[in-house]
Amino acid sequence: MRQAEESANVMAKITINGNTLEVADGTLVLEAAMEQGIDIPTFCYMARLAPLASCRMCLVEIEGQGKLQPSCATPVVDGMVVRTDSPLVADTQKSMLELLLANHPLDCPVCDKSGECELQDMVFEYGAGEARFHDQKRVFYAKDIELNPVIIFNAQRCVQCQRCVRICEEVVGAVALGTVEKGMDTEVTGFENSLAGCDHCGNCIEVCPVGALMSIPYRYKARPWDLKETDTICPFCGTGCHLSIGVLDGQLSRVRSKYETGVNGETLCVKGRFGIDFIDGDNRLRTPLVRKEGALTAVSWEEAAAFIAERAKGAADKGGPAAGGLASPRLNNESLYLFQKLMRTAFHTNSIDSSSRWSAAGADAYQSLAGLFGGLYARRSLHQVLEADCILILGATVTDETPVTEYMVRGAARSRGNKLFIASARPSRLDSEAISSLRFVPGAEAYLLSALLNGIEGAKKTFANMGALKKSLLKAAKTPPPEFKEFLEKAGTALGAAESVTLLIGADLLRSPGAAAALSMARGLGRVLDALGKRVEVQFLFDRPNQMGAWELGGLPGLLPGWRPVGDAAARATLEEAWGVSLPANSGADFRHMLERSEAGELDVLYVAGGDPLLSYPDGGLVESALIKTGLLIVQDAFMTGTARLADVVLPAATFAEEAGTFTNNEGKVQELRPIRRPAFEAKPNAEIFALVAQALGCDLGPVSQDAVFAEIARLVPSYQGLSSHGLGDDGSYTRPFAEDNGGDLDDPPLALPRRAKGLELVTGDSMFHSGYLSGNSQVLGNLSAEAYVEMNPEDAAGLELADGAGVVVRSSQGEMKVRLKLNKRFPAGVVYVPENFADAPLNRLLKHGEYPCPVEVLRG
Amino acid sequence: MFEKVLLKNAEKPDAYGIKAYEAAGGYQALAKVVREFSPDGLIELVKDSNLRGRGGAGFPTGVKWSFVPKDSDKPTYLCCNADESEPGTFKDRVIMEGDPHMMLEGMALASYAIGAEVAYLYIRGEYVLCIERLQAALDEAYGKGYLGRDILGSGFNLDIHMHVGAGAYICGEETAMLESIEGRRGEPKLKPPFPAVAGLYECPTVINNTETLACLPHIVTRGAEWFRGIGPEKSPGPKLYCLSGHVQKPGVYELPMGISLRELVDDHAGGARPGRKIKAVIPGGVSAPMIPESGLDVTMDFESLTAIDTMLGSAGVIVLDDGDCIVRAAKNINEFFHEESCGKCTPCREGLDWTDKILHRIEAGEGKEGDLEQLDFLCGSIFGNSFCALGDGAAWALKAAITQFRDEFVEHVEQGRCPYH
Repeated sequence: MRQAEESANVMAKITINGNTLEVADGTLVLEAAMEQGIDIPTFCYMARLAPLASCRMCLVEIEGQGKLQPSCATPVVDGMVVRTDSPLVADTQKSMLELLLANHPLDCPVCDKSGECELQDMVFEYGAGEARFHDQKRVFYAKDIELNPVIIFNAQRCVQCQRCVRICEEVVGAVALGTVEKGMDTEVTGFENSLAGCDHCGNCIEVCPVGALMSIPYRYKARPWDLKETDTICPFCGTGCHLSIGVLDGQLSRVRSKYETGVNGETLCVKGRFGIDFIDGDNRLRTPLVRKEGALTAVSWEEAAAFIAERAKGAADKGGPAAGGLASPRLNNESLYLFQKLMRTAFHTNSIDSSSRWSAAGADAYQSLAGLFGGLYARRSLHQVLEADCILILGATVTDETPVTEYMVRGAARSRGNKLFIASARPSRLDSEAISSLRFVPGAEAYLLSALLNGIEGAKKTFANMGALKKSLLKAAKTPPPEFKEFLEKAGTALGAAESVTLLIGADLLRSPGAAAALSMARGLGRVLDALGKRVEVQFLFDRPNQMGAWELGGLPGLLPGWRPVGDAAARATLEEAWGVSLPANSGADFRHMLERSEAGELDVLYVAGGDPLLSYPDGGLVESALIKTGLLIVQDAFMTGTARLADVVLPAATFAEEAGTFTNNEGKVQELRPIRRPAFEAKPNAEIFALVAQALGCDLGPVSQDAVFAEIARLVPSYQGLSSHGLGDDGSYTRPFAEDNGGDLDDPPLALPRRAKGLELVTGDSMFHSGYLSGNSQVLGNLSAEAYVEMNPEDAAGLELADGAGVVVRSSQGEMKVRLKLNKRFPAGVVYVPENFADAPLNRLLKHGEYPCPVEVLRG
Repeated sequence: MFEKVLLKNAEKPDAYGIKAYEAAGGYQALAKVVREFSPDGLIELVKDSNLRGRGGAGFPTGVKWSFVPKDSDKPTYLCCNADESEPGTFKDRVIMEGDPHMMLEGMALASYAIGAEVAYLYIRGEYVLCIERLQAALDEAYGKGYLGRDILGSGFNLDIHMHVGAGAYICGEETAMLESIEGRRGEPKLKPPFPAVAGLYECPTVINNTETLACLPHIVTRGAEWFRGIGPEKSPGPKLYCLSGHVQKPGVYELPMGISLRELVDDHAGGARPGRKIKAVIPGGVSAPMIPESGLDVTMDFESLTAIDTMLGSAGVIVLDDGDCIVRAAKNINEFFHEESCGKCTPCREGLDWTDKILHRIEAGEGKEGDLEQLDFLCGSIFGNSFCALGDGAAWALKAAITQFRDEFVEHVEQGRCPYH
């Protein structure tokens, strides 16, 4: 790697079209020309793909070469003289286009691509203007082929640039597309002329320069020039991909990604590309609803506000334990900030939580989180973080949870040769990029990290300075189970040799009762590697778009915005001065405790802003009963969720696409969300609803415009200082580490390897097609993956004597549910997976609080 | 009188077994090399012999070997290109059917020189008898310890895997062949990196043609000087010429490099059929531009043919006489390239489809005004712009036909029919 850096510093002096310039030796001629603002036409070239040099559009003259050279595949060398503007080059470009057009159908009037077609544009710019080919054109099929429910293929229009095949293989890693036949019969397709089994990410559509691969949901819907496109941020996971939403007459038409824009470049996953239609889901709330005589009844906003004023006033005045609030990490920063401000100022409580899925993280975990975010967390581009010599992924199924991040990890492992290690419960295709992958049952993370540290040469010497942590660091090493051996050896060697290490932590880790220990040990890992002189960085791989924002802005019971403990008088005083109210000094209840209080008849108000705990929070039975017993259940959401059906008042809110705001992604980058339209029906922006509720309770949240709230955040939350909502830039702005890891004593977490249950153990998480209840509101995603399933190893399923797809019953101590069987021979023995997203298979009815993974049986249905 | 080298055994009946090969001195070269030569010593010997690749490009073999990095931590591979699929070419077949051990010994020698312990033999799938004989020969050679572990007690190991091609002409192109061996779609790859640095499985790889490899045992046994003494100094050695088309005695002829084309056609292959006159000769497989009868005094070596804008190529000599329609010949040849274009690059894929349509039209008497100019344009667009030599060769050959026999094309278009048929 060092060698590459050195050679990158060597400059070459070259001449392009008479202008002499200096570029790094080895730069492609095409890229050197582009830097000079010289346009060279290409089809097959894409910066993120390996050069193919097949379209022959970019041929240029290079002095001393007998024939024209493909500029997309020719590196510069010192003294090179290039002409991109000679008559020969222009003639050749003209010829290539004439050849490409010979068999191209010229059905532009009915082609979806028309207007943004690279072939059209190139013919306009470089073409001959007349056609000499008058023979019969080649025809593959009379009709376009539906390769799957979202991708349709017109073979006639294909120009064989192979961008689709290459992005599918090189970037997505799916290798679903390939090429069959040869010569003029060459055709891009999937196995058996189908893409039924692919990711459905549609990146092949995105990179297609012509109308060969097209989106079925967008088919014949609009002309591109009629679309109003809005650039915004994807609402599904924490990668924070840029996407452009095209709207025609107020209706969502399509979603696309733009060439080399944002963290994602030109890629998206299936959820981002095809799942945004959730904003028009059938389940959208139209008006405020108030429970009258047992039934939710449509009312005006005024009536809803009056209802809340009447019913919540008492609890708000009582304050403290009488009220609680749960906000979704899918809300934008401004809404999340206002929500905690509302809870703290109008309801006088610190009982605030911001994820309904992590049953067991607990207060200890949040203290460790604060330590991580203060110190090791890399608030910089994932691309840079992935340049580390060694990348360790812990507790994440990246392929399903944060797919575009997965593309980037693959790219780092393949092109840079960085050493990748994955330790996760579920297998994924990213395993094939790793030096070693370890399957383990959640709960063993801390143990694994300490065992890993023990295997690093020289690490033990540093333990002396690790305080209380030392004990547990040494403990684990004694008896690592045999199945850990290979991973520990290989990863230990690589970590020892690496100069820089990146640790990527997935959301799965936070479900486990051992989360606090694992996070503490992650800090220990940082300390030890740092003491060994290595550069260490950590990022989370959250599967929610704004988990980082939710936490940083105070969506936690024990922490004020900026990770400051509620008991910190100085921190409280700053906020009290700014907000003009006194703040409760005691830690509030987390969501678990809110439910327990409610169950005991002690919770007067529960405010759920986004999220559907009835579907997602463990101990589903308790959740239902507690929600029913809550004095006043306020649900604010864009959709009629299960939780909303139990509410006393339901407030229809805007989706991410209908309100201004920002998300803070996993990189710690604040990115702007731009609304594509006003909120649907009578829905209001979340911020306005919070203001309305505050007002009903006689409080004033201050100005709630996005600008004003963002300015307040920037003023009061250290990591957001210096940012302004107008100055984020197209690519967003990074938050700042608010404090160094104070170097204080680290806890000595319990490190026992969790005892494996005798039978099967159930893990859950996002699937490739779903992410919480949000994706369930997408018609397209619903069609692609309609049913819950249990995925398991064929050997574990052998006793069932059932085929793939058969109905089975998954039973835990809490309950049972019927799902389909999905056999996967790469699945580890003893572990089964059920996706958590299906309303008709509420997994949380099986899960028990504080127990993850969940022991289950799988029985014949 | 030239003494045959490459066909000496092959022309004997049933001499393909190991006994016959050993009796004729077979595997002595291998024994000598593993005993007396360092790998570099063997490379120097072959450099010294001026042996040039017989696959078509004529690259000096020893020089090619010396490009293999010495300090690579990856394995090195040898691949024998036995995909012989250039129309008009059937010389390697004669070696593989008649004297397979000579090629295997050559492979062992080349592998020794470049430090390969695994070699691939990529063979044309249609060569059923070759495959059968080579497999038998491989088994025999393993049995006698000429292949496998610790060859002849020298510590040199070599395994040869035979990979049977599935019929694509493009897989004779060396990088496409490597893709094919790897189980990928047979399409040419970008160079650089050249195979010598990053070839098969991204490892250093040398690709040599069957006939090239067959020369090696003789160079070892009889010396570089002997080899250089056959034919022209710069491209010396015995050469197999494949004579086909309208000559009296078609077949494979072993003669020195540098023999005159006229002598080859007239004296060795018996010249034109009675009552016929030779019209043109394609000297090196259908990718090589045809030479009109007036040019037959050229000598058959790399430089001389390049000088008159054609090439020795695979030395597949195809003779056309005055009864042959050049338009039809050009159409047939172009049809082949059109069929075999892999489809990767624009000019070859689209261009050859277009030329195919025009040539069919002209030959059928349906040519139109402007068609010839269109062919000129297409040849110009394909030649020099295609990704690999397939498109270049197709356009080069077609251009020669149109240029040298333009009258015949014009006649077809003007008369609206083929004057020959």
